[in-house]
This record gives sequence, C-alpha cells and structure tokens, in this order.
Amino acid sequence: MTDAQAGSNTGQETSQEVSQETRQMRQGELRSLADSITAITSPFRNYLSDLHEKYQPLGAGAVADYIPELAEANPDWFGVCVVTTEGQVYDVGDCEQLFTIQSMSKAFTYGLALEDHGRDYVNSKVSNEPTGEAFNAIVLDEATNRPYNPMVNAGAIATADLIKGKDGTERLKRLLDMFERYTGRSHDVYMPVFLSEKSSGFRNRAIAYLMLNFGMVSDRIDETLDLYFQQCSILVNAKDIAMMAATLANGGINPVTNIRALNEHYVQDVISVMLSCGMYDASGDWACRVGIPAKSGVGGGILATVPSKLGIGTFSPPLDAKGNSVRGIKVCEDLSKDFGLHLFNVAKPAHTLSDWLSGEGGTDEW
Amino acid sequence: MPKVISIHSYRGGTGKSNFTANLAATLALKGKRVGVVDTDVPSPGIHNLFCLEPEQTTNTLNNYLWGEISIEEAAYEVSRNAGLPENAEGSLYLVPSSVKADSIARILRDGYDVRLMNDGFRKLVKELQLDYLFIDTHPGLSKETFLSIAISHVLILILRPDKQDYQGTAVTMDVAKQLKVRKLLLAINKVYAQLNPNALKQKVEETYGETVAGVFPLSEDMVQLASEGVFCVRYPNHSISQEFRRVAEQIDKD
Repeated sequence: MTDAQAGSNTGQETSQEVSQETRQMRQGELRSLADSITAITSPFRNYLSDLHEKYQPLGAGAVADYIPELAEANPDWFGVCVVTTEGQVYDVGDCEQLFTIQSMSKAFTYGLALEDHGRDYVNSKVSNEPTGEAFNAIVLDEATNRPYNPMVNAGAIATADLIKGKDGTERLKRLLDMFERYTGRSHDVYMPVFLSEKSSGFRNRAIAYLMLNFGMVSDRIDETLDLYFQQCSILVNAKDIAMMAATLANGGINPVTNIRALNEHYVQDVISVMLSCGMYDASGDWACRVGIPAKSGVGGGILATVPSKLGIGTFSPPLDAKGNSVRGIKVCEDLSKDFGLHLFNVAKPAHTLSDWLSGEGGTDEW
Repeated sequence: MPKVISIHSYRGGTGKSNFTANLAATLALKGKRVGVVDTDVPSPGIHNLFCLEPEQTTNTLNNYLWGEISIEEAAYEVSRNAGLPENAEGSLYLVPSSVKADSIARILRDGYDVRLMNDGFRKLVKELQLDYLFIDTHPGLSKETFLSIAISHVLILILRPDKQDYQGTAVTMDVAKQLKVRKLLLAINKVYAQLNPNALKQKVEETYGETVAGVFPLSEDMVQLASEGVFCVRYPNHSISQEFRRVAEQIDKD
C-alpha cells in the first residue's frame, strides 16, 4: 500500500491534504512508469540484448528428453532477465515463457526446511558436501548415511521430507506459498510433468527407500515423493527465477514486493550450497570461472545470485552433457567477466555495473 | 557516436512532423546518414513530406512491432524523394507507420511491446550505420513518448507561443527530468509576425531555464508547400532554412 492509500484510509484528512497526497501518489506513479521505461532503454538492458543476439544462434546442447513433456520444449526459446536488489527488472527475449522449475526448486525447499527445523537438525539429515557423482546417483555418505547435499536428488528428497504440514496438500500449499513470496505471483504445478515424473521415477523411489532403510527420511515416502515431483513440476518463467535469485541477493526479501521469503539467518546456507553444489558436477569449475552462486534445472533454467547486487535468471532448453543450459552458462560467464561479478573478483571490470544500470555507462554503444 | 533525437510536443498541430523532416534533411545535406522513424502510430503523416506514398510502403513499423519483419526491412531510402542531390554524401531513410485503418485499429486495440521499439531503434542505427536517428512522436504523453524521451540523446520540444502549449511543455519537461533526459532543447514554432523573436526566445528561456534552439515564424511560404516536400531542401537560402541550420549546428556540435 502506498503512503497515499494509507492516508486516505484514516478518514481524518482535510480535502487539501487529500489533494496533496493524490499528487504525491501521481508523482509516485510517474516515477514508477519512468523507472520501468528507463530500465528498458538503459545501457544494461542493451548489453543484455546484445548478449541475447550473440548467443541465440548457438546450436549446441540437447533438450532433456527423459520424459516426453520436456522433449517438447522449443530449443530456440531463450530469455535473459536480471533483477537488481533495488527491484529494477531488465528482461530480454522469452521471459514470459513458462517452463518447469525442476532442480532449481531444491535450493528453496532447502531454505524452507531450515526454517521448519533449524540448521542442526537439517544437517543431521543432509550433508553439505559437493559430490562428483551424477545428480541422480543412488549413493549416501558411508559414515553417516546422509545424502551428500540438498542439490542431488537424494538430498532433495530428504529435504522435501522435512517440509512440515499435516498432509500432502498442506505441505504442497506451504511450498507454493513460499515460491509466491519469492516471485511475487502465484504458481501452479504442471500436471503432465508431475504425472510423468511420478510414473517413471523409479530411481528416485529407490533412493527414497534406501534412505528410509537408514532412517534418514520418515515413512510417509509416497507423500514425500509426490511432494518432491510436484516441487520440480512448478511452472516459472525467466523473470520469476531472476526474482527468486534477486530475493536471495537482497537478504531474503523480494526487492519488488518487499515481502520476506526466507529467514535472514538461512540466506547464507542456501547461497553457499548453490555455490558449492548448484551446477551438478560442474559446480567446482563454475565456482572458479564464474564465481556466482547458481542453480540450474533440466527444464533449461539457471538462476544465479550476486549477493547485495542482483539476481540473474536465464531460460534456454538445450543442455550440455552435465545437464546445464548451454546458453545460460554463456550468459552468466559473460556477465561475470564484463561486470566483475565473480564473488572473489578484485580486478577492475570492463564495465562498472552501477553506471550501466543508471544509464551513465555504455552510452558509446549506441 | 550515433545520436537519437526525439521531436515532441504536448499538443498537436505544432508542426512537429514538418520540423522533424526539415531538421533531418538539413543534417543529411551536411553529409550525415539520417534515419526517421514515425512512431505516431495513431496518426502517421511524415511520409507525405518525404513524398512516400502508402502504396509504396508495404512494410511499416506496425509489421515490425507485430514480429513479421525486421526493422530494417521497413526502412525506405527517401534521399531522392526529399530532393537531396544525386551525388549527395548524406542519405535519408524513413520507417513509416501504416495508414491503413485496420492496422491502426489493431495496434491501438492490442498495444505492442514497448521494448521492441527500443530494440528496433538500436538495430536500425546499427544496420543502416546512421549518424542520427529522429523519432517523430504522437502528441501528448504516452508509453512511446516516455520511451522516445528516455532513449534520446537530444529531446526537442516544440511549442507555439500560447498558454496551452506553455503549460503542456512544463508537464513534458517534468517527465523528461524524471527520465533523466541528457539534453533538452526548445523550439518555438508558428510565431506571429508582430512578436519579436529575440524577446520571445529570452522570455521562454527564462521561464523554463532551458535553451531555445530556434524560433520559427508562422510562414505562408511553408504552408504553401503544405505537407509535400521538404522546405529546407527546396529553398536552402530562405531564412527558415537558415534557422534550421542553426538548430542542426547545436545538435551536431557535441
């Protein structure tokens, strides 16, 4: 609610005050329209537009096809969105196209599990160690029987098991509410993908039973697996995942709605595990080369968080051999290099981010 | 470095399209590569000044905004139409808007993605290697006005010496400041013979705190040419053409 709206609800103002408040509101609206237009014409969006043009022709990679619904994705779809911690949105390409969130959901479910149970308990069920194994490996830490981290399927199922709620419906509702806090809009589970994942997810079922054997998950296995398949089948677009990344970058508060999505104490846990394990078994190389905590999904999405600065969301279905979006990787690499977004970068980057966002940089580009 | 110049007025009938065509042609006569985009989608008209008949323009800005063609496919070279000499170094291009009632209705009803406009302008500058891109706008404030103001290196506001124009110009300047416009120039048009142009210029500059780049008389000479042909090219020695050259210099100098 704007100040002006809040004021008009008190019912005590004189007509003079009303007109002044109305005027302020109008100015607020002028500013908001002006800001959205400035974002469109900013050098930073022009930069993204050039990146989009540069990588659109890239033919490498293959669309995931382990279930028929994913194979239907158009390999030419390509969207890039950046949301700053100030709430400015810069989007280029197919940023409205919906796709399933897949593994990107894992980082956020992990955050909710931490809120539900605290760090120590969650850590007793899921370790934080990167693994060289494939994301769907049936393997647990031999000493403790815990899955290696919340980003591999085993860890994500164990994490989903921790989501509180009296039944499957309430648990799913809590997850959907959480995603709404991150993105600022409500989300749906895409039924065809959910049912496909559910009917063909024997491997994940095996992982769950192995963990049940070691007491790492509760015995509501079917409900938890449904929840896990549902969380992976939630529909998002590039703008949503950029907003989720920006919310993490903004200390757990959505920069547009100003609603808190994640307890401030657990923001560091989620971002850390993204940096160490977010890009499947390419995570180590990613941390060195790109240095931006990120999480990818086989639907073609990558979300990347630059703390205190911005969130990146890319969408392009063709994946490399490790399961990460080929165009998305390129975009993140270029952004990191050109604007010095690597977490540990100290060298002066080619472009200064603040100048390019405000419109003072890159004017020669025209 | 290429420059984007938006020509705008709060109210209609200020002579915006005529001004745009003449200033664009003046720069082309100076050897520049100049593009003009008619973003006045509801009431396009500048194509007349460049003697481009609607039958010749199957590709328009509308088709680009609907994703049917790339923007450069809607660009027509109008150097000869505007009367630029055969051996001229400079050139003029126009991206017209559609004058078909159906096309206008469609774009008014469905709107369009304003981001496409931005991306199209950039593409046009690149593909045609333009020195200057002029954006002729619809009067009043709208999303495309905001965009053209935000995008431009120079914004030229045209006003006539009357109260309604003075007020509207003040509103537009508020918006321009909010959009952090880089350079703003005022041009006063249709000035009656009995007004002293220098005194008027000084008064307007004091009122708005901005530079008046040119003062143009209410000219029968120009009216006679109506909306056909570019005055500056036909009558290069006329005082009006000289005034356009002075405005062009102010734009070209930095």
